[in-house]
Amino acid sequence: MIRRRAVKIVAYHMRDDPAVSANGFISRDLHEVLDKKSNFYMIGSMGLASSIAAGVAIKNPHRRVFVLDGDGNLLMNLGSLATIGSMKLNLVHVVFDNRAHESTGGQPTASGSVKLGRMAAAAGYKSYHAKTEAELDDVMERVANSKGPVFVLVRVKTGGEKSGRVDIPPVEIRRRFELSL
Amino acid sequence: MNEEAQRDAFMYMLKKGVTDFVGVPDSTLKHFIAEGLARKKAVIATREEEAIGIAAGMSMSGGIPLVFMQNAGLANSISTITSLVRMYEIPMIFLVGWRGYLDDDAPEHRTVGRIQPKLLELAGIEARVISEDDWMEGCSWALRTAKDGGRCALVVRRMFHD
Repeated sequence: MIRRRAVKIVAYHMRDDPAVSANGFISRDLHEVLDKKSNFYMIGSMGLASSIAAGVAIKNPHRRVFVLDGDGNLLMNLGSLATIGSMKLNLVHVVFDNRAHESTGGQPTASGSVKLGRMAAAAGYKSYHAKTEAELDDVMERVANSKGPVFVLVRVKTGGEKSGRVDIPPVEIRRRFELSL
Repeated sequence: MNEEAQRDAFMYMLKKGVTDFVGVPDSTLKHFIAEGLARKKAVIATREEEAIGIAAGMSMSGGIPLVFMQNAGLANSISTITSLVRMYEIPMIFLVGWRGYLDDDAPEHRTVGRIQPKLLELAGIEARVISEDDWMEGCSWALRTAKDGGRCALVVRRMFHD
């Protein structure tokens, strides 16, 4: 599956729920396929999308909060799985796994040999995975009303359609995200 | 800063508007953190960058968060401060335990202890040192700064050995 198409499927399932997207191509994709005030495009601070979303989830316990993460991002902040799992936060943590740091030139990550979905399950998430667009659509449908942290590992290819940089000034990204909450 | 002042400072921050306390434990700040844990108001993160990320989410949700950490964690967090907290102009208060303030502190703390004031300055975070005599003034300044949309740090010196 092409990452940008996978991001689009997830984006359509988010409705108006707050979402935090990882730096690099994932934020660019989300911005291009479905820009919304409730999207927080994390441009720098690699690894922290899940933590920013955790803070939003702690303060908004009745809302479902989405994280659009990458394998490289998650591997930089594996501790967030423990924090989110132990606090049973209402997060849908989607990881687009291309087994590479694609934004920096395609260097490999460890996700080819390390089972990220099982790590999330061990931390207390309900863990799902999808390899095709149909599977992803189905999984997103199934997790729509589940409580507590949900982990969705989406296997994507490197390459494919390329999105442009997020052209909204950072302070404006923050302001409109705050107003959407 | 003694136990009574740390516990009083926690209660002051809570009553005057800090909504959330999140961070990584530090022995210099242990009584402040203990008060937060006893009142179920403190979240313990795995790393300081994670704590700052969580605080950013809390702040954007309308809260005024305080992030506590040792200065080793401040050194870990420079990039998070520059590319998240400062770039998006997210209000929050840092509370930093100053290891290596005493020249004969344990060797692993000495270098960061020396560069800490400069680190805060270079990261663009205005800081004030607080003690048992004047903590209320510093805490009140920090609250005003965060409520006005700013970022700042309160620093507690490590004055003892263990």
